[in-house]
Amino acid sequence: MTSPGVPKLPLFADYRPLPGTYDEFFAAPGQPRPNMSQLVRALDRLGQREFQKRQELANSAFLNAGVTFSVYSDERGGERVFPFDLIPRVISAEEWDLVERGLAQRVQALNLFLQDVYGKQAILAEDILPARLVLGSSGYLERLRGVTPPGGVFIHVAGIDLIRNPSGEFLVLEDNVRTPSGVSYVLENRGVMKRALPSVFRKLNVRSIDDYPTVLRDTLLESAPSGAPKGSIPPPPDSPVRAVVLTPGPFNSAYFEHSFLAGRMGCELAYASDLFVRDRKVYLKTTAGPQQIHVIYRRIDDAFLDPEFFRPDSLLGVAGLVSAYAAGNVTLANALGNGVADDKAVYPYVPEMIRFYLSEEPILGQVQTYNLSRKHDLEYTLEHLNELVVKAVDGSGGYGMLMGPTASAAEIAEFAAKLRDNPRGYIAQPRIELSASPTWCDTELAPRRVDLRPFVLTGKKVWVLPGGLCRVALKPNSYVVNSSQGGGSKDTWVLAADSS
Amino acid sequence: MISRVADSCFWLFRYIERAESCARFASVNRMLVLDAEHERAERWMPVIVVLGEQARFEELVGKERYHDDDDAEEYLTWNQQSPVSIRSSLYWARENARMIREVISREMWETLNTSWQWFTSKAAQREYRKDRSQFYRRIRSLCAEFGGTSDSSMLHEEPLDFMLLGLMLERANQTARLMDVKHHRVAGGDRQTLETPWQSAQWVSQLKLCAAEESFLKRHRAAPTGRRVAEFLLRDPSFPRSVLHCFERAELLLRQIEAATARAAPTASLKALQAMLMHLRNAKIADVLHAGLHEELTRVIDTAALVCDHLQRDFLDPSEPEAPPLAQSQSQS
Repeated sequence: MTSPGVPKLPLFADYRPLPGTYDEFFAAPGQPRPNMSQLVRALDRLGQREFQKRQELANSAFLNAGVTFSVYSDERGGERVFPFDLIPRVISAEEWDLVERGLAQRVQALNLFLQDVYGKQAILAEDILPARLVLGSSGYLERLRGVTPPGGVFIHVAGIDLIRNPSGEFLVLEDNVRTPSGVSYVLENRGVMKRALPSVFRKLNVRSIDDYPTVLRDTLLESAPSGAPKGSIPPPPDSPVRAVVLTPGPFNSAYFEHSFLAGRMGCELAYASDLFVRDRKVYLKTTAGPQQIHVIYRRIDDAFLDPEFFRPDSLLGVAGLVSAYAAGNVTLANALGNGVADDKAVYPYVPEMIRFYLSEEPILGQVQTYNLSRKHDLEYTLEHLNELVVKAVDGSGGYGMLMGPTASAAEIAEFAAKLRDNPRGYIAQPRIELSASPTWCDTELAPRRVDLRPFVLTGKKVWVLPGGLCRVALKPNSYVVNSSQGGGSKDTWVLAADSS
Repeated sequence: MISRVADSCFWLFRYIERAESCARFASVNRMLVLDAEHERAERWMPVIVVLGEQARFEELVGKERYHDDDDAEEYLTWNQQSPVSIRSSLYWARENARMIREVISREMWETLNTSWQWFTSKAAQREYRKDRSQFYRRIRSLCAEFGGTSDSSMLHEEPLDFMLLGLMLERANQTARLMDVKHHRVAGGDRQTLETPWQSAQWVSQLKLCAAEESFLKRHRAAPTGRRVAEFLLRDPSFPRSVLHCFERAELLLRQIEAATARAAPTASLKALQAMLMHLRNAKIADVLHAGLHEELTRVIDTAALVCDHLQRDFLDPSEPEAPPLAQSQSQS
């Protein structure tokens, strides 16, 4: 049943873009961008009432499929459906070409940086990056210096967060090269989208994203230790390479995704308690006895991976796993110690890394960032806290950050104290007017801010998923898109280049 | 396969089977107790007792409430503190499925998840109040749909074998427990023999509790007597809920699992199951009845529990081995 209040008007009849912001659909009120006009026409023809009906269908499809994330703060300890908005995010072939090349370049440079930091440290010797900043990062693991993972790949899976500024330019907001999540929603969203709006989908030439699990699986297998037998998952009886996905368990917020990816790759989903290490080799406890594992796609943070190495007081993790990794007997994807590369205080230097390692100019821009270890930057930030966004250098998920323009005086004072106390622990950035997209809000369309997390896989070569997780801040005027903070998601359509 | 996953497979179907049989005997018993023969206090007591829930029921609901249909049905259907309630069984079935979602088929997950969404919805509450028979029938068909979906969408190999093994052991256990209702129904009578005068209508109810009425009548084309009913439920070779049939299928599944996991020698689980099968096949029904049906049923229930214990050690939760055989053979070569 549809809400009786929704009229039978064209979908975009009342839509007004947000002033001062790049609107993903409209160049001006009532005036679609050139490559959007076909989509706007198709959605207009559907009308508001029918759209509402399809949106409800989509919501129940997610509930019945159990596409959920867990919320710790939820007192029911429950699973929640990630809110989904049926208006797609569309990216043209030309725009995507730039994004794709820019992402591949960036991930390549970050990977070379990790090789270097855990090796010769040439970039520090030449003083391109301050050694103190890098070696003092909480993600840096000095004890693993000298360990190079198979093929030199540290970042098998990266999720790079992009935003669009008011002039429509894509900028990198954040790098996630530890355990980025969200790709399962990308794939699920597409399935629901095709069911809910088949006729609209058919009109545009949208690139397929179904390859992701297959490419991820190949990426993992390619990265097996050189001594491991060659083969596929699942292994034939005479057992070549064996890979598992390692999850913290069903209470983790991304558990659905861990299970989803294991299922789509046809490999097993293991808990830490299913694994053990003997003679620096990793074994899985199976009904047929212990079996050796060669590749672990781990979705557990470094600190909880191995109590022997990280925290003797912890019962979590697999004791001895790091020794097996250091001995080259198991591949961890992503590798250990990647946190030094997506440390937010290292982020301002990524363009320098690209120049240093690749001798290229960065293809994608990024957001101006104040490095609070510098006295001048710190002073400026403290004076302008009410205009700036402050983030913890190792934070994620939208936690532990300050949105200066909307913060209370008390919050600002609290952060000022934190910054003075631990300047290395934070960075500051001007608040960017993120681009907005028309979004269905209960009974009408309204502009809501969006970002985009594309996924980049690196095995023997670099591959960028044509699409990504488009997150949308559902609260009016909000800039925070994280699912844990009331964000939703949209399907992202990357259009194929015209064959003509 | 991962031992922990095998454990979840095993329990997933046990819980589904429990939900299904709880819905069945709640709906059967509520019809039975309408008949005048039942003493007031006895209406729900035997069912609660054979489920092993006497103490908890009396604590949570009350010693004096066995005659109250609504209280008893509420306990068996919705009570979250009762481990045998349909709610608890469906909840745990879904939790086990959620833990092994990548192992079961997508259709299985969606069937179970949609059932759970319905069960916890207002629509289910409404149906429970308005048309209880239809409510219980729906629970049973949701369970049947899950079983059918599993059979048609899973690879017929180790994970499904563990699921069906759980199902068969649970079913044998349920049949044995429900057969014991008579033992508890005939309060104060001579419990050592089946010759306590029970009308054939009561034997029919006994069969109904085990979903065996139609099958029994096809087999015998005669009025049920205690001896015939006992023999049928214990060891009819083809009745899908007879103890013998369930144990035979369990044995077959276990042998398949042993082959898939390349066991050099039969496991303790298999040996325990085979010993029970040998006894069931060879015992004379007259001797069984003479020694006491209740004792025989207790033996069945104990055997199912023993097999489960062995399964834990043999497959489902092996403690970390002292030295992995794989590593040993590699270092020798």
